[in-house]
Amino acid sequence: MAGKTRYPTGVRPLLIEEAARRRRIERRFVSQLERSGFAEVVLPIIDYAEPYAPLVAAGAARQSYRFIDREGDLVAIRSDFTPMVARALAPAIDPRDLPLRVFYRGDVIRCEASRLGTNRELFQIGAEIIGDASPEADVAILKIAAELPAEFGVRPLVVYNDTAIVSRLVRAFGEPVRTALVTKRLAAIDGRGIDRDALALIEKLARGSATLADVGTWEPLADRAARLEAIAGALDPATFTLHLDDVDDANDYYTGIRFRLFDAESRTRIAQGGRYDDLYARFGTPAPAIGFTFTIDDLANDGNAAEAGGAALGDAMVREVVR
Amino acid sequence: MRIAVPKGRLQDRVLALFAEAGYDVPTEVELRSRKLVFRRDGVEWIFVKDCDVPVYVEHGAADAGIAGLDQILEHEVTAYQPVELPFGRCRLMVIGAPGAPRLTDDANAKVATKYPRITRRYLESRGVRAEVVPLGGSVELAAVLNLTSHVVDLVETGETVRIHRLELQDLVAEISPRLIVGRSIYRTEPARMRELIARVEAAALVIPSVARKLGAWAAHESQPSAPPGPPDPSLTLGMTPEEE
Repeated sequence: MAGKTRYPTGVRPLLIEEAARRRRIERRFVSQLERSGFAEVVLPIIDYAEPYAPLVAAGAARQSYRFIDREGDLVAIRSDFTPMVARALAPAIDPRDLPLRVFYRGDVIRCEASRLGTNRELFQIGAEIIGDASPEADVAILKIAAELPAEFGVRPLVVYNDTAIVSRLVRAFGEPVRTALVTKRLAAIDGRGIDRDALALIEKLARGSATLADVGTWEPLADRAARLEAIAGALDPATFTLHLDDVDDANDYYTGIRFRLFDAESRTRIAQGGRYDDLYARFGTPAPAIGFTFTIDDLANDGNAAEAGGAALGDAMVREVVR
Repeated sequence: MRIAVPKGRLQDRVLALFAEAGYDVPTEVELRSRKLVFRRDGVEWIFVKDCDVPVYVEHGAADAGIAGLDQILEHEVTAYQPVELPFGRCRLMVIGAPGAPRLTDDANAKVATKYPRITRRYLESRGVRAEVVPLGGSVELAAVLNLTSHVVDLVETGETVRIHRLELQDLVAEISPRLIVGRSIYRTEPARMRELIARVEAAALVIPSVARKLGAWAAHESQPSAPPGPPDPSLTLGMTPEEE
């Protein structure tokens, strides 16, 4: 008999019933995405690390398993689908085919086992629209993301913001601005060299009292405020919440809208996504893109209960564990 | 709302702070009951070891809590840290054993610490190659008994260091307790969390009155004002906790 009876932390097999449940969920996701005009792409489980090096924040890079293959190249196991989709599609894109709708599914593997309850192997399904930079594409992807869990009886709550707000402030006034907004501690900046409108905006963002009008007051952000206003106007505020002080600290590839999707009952995060308009250009073909990823995990229910009699679904049937 | 309070040396001051902020906190009599969870006026108060507060908040078992920057950095917590509290401050220092060279000049250094992650990042930032020896407590003893050449540990008054003729060599980070708020709860219930932040922030500003209520504070902790402004200690080491 083998010595170790347990599996490494963060991975586990899905036995017959769990496997069947996951496949049912997967089929329903895929069916809904196909109905919305998305076509599947299949990506390799390992790839060279080098093409992604400039894209990935230090923290994210530490998440991936890397090793030297027999040819002496540094390769990484897939830990994030989005850059892989861009690398795979960019050389093949014909501008005449844009906009393009694609989806993907599969496992990502991350070295995060030290974090409580965090899986290392995550099954994800994601989708993106490539070649459409319009606010209408932002609205479309937000609505599709919200509709997917609704199919399973989960009431979605989507919290969104625009990463360009902070990135433009940081570009103008330095990284301490991001620190102040991430930690919500204004002490991280000294205010010198920051113009009055920007400083007022930074203070309001850190305190959570900023409005779109405040954002537009600082001239370099006037266009972003107008765009956000258009997006917010097209979304149901009961489901979609604009959260201007929701600031990310990792300076990764997002350039515009950034959102997280929660189960409104349990407040569990089940998906995340955003706009990354520069990502495809880094792989040779400029094309704006926006997408989302659901992490399917701990599947408490696949919607059959709802079909059978509208019973409460309990906790979320999908759970976003990381990102 | 569930708030995690660190048991131990900060507990009384943290409860006084929340009381000043208008929250109905558990009484001393209740606290003597050894219960770990108290529900009062819509708030659930949980009492956990200081090193566990960031873990509870990070994983959503508590919505907010009070945690030292040492624990925030060691756990690489992504929670927001909106309010720095004007008490319980200390320094995370490199301390040398008697006669030990400076850590940066010691090619064979061994460093004992309760903070292996912070220490490794500090060593990387200084370009020092040293072995890190994780210990659970009484870290200075490692240097006193020459188990290691150096330790990285919290220094409050410096009395232990002086008594054992150890040497304070370098500042790793200024440590202060902070209100931390989980990102998910802040995203999904911003109004409630902003109210909590505003109330705690206001209470922290009038902390001298809290001090009077408590009666006996150590003199070195009774100064209401923070060391003037930045540098944010997390920045001095490039120690910004990263996104989830």
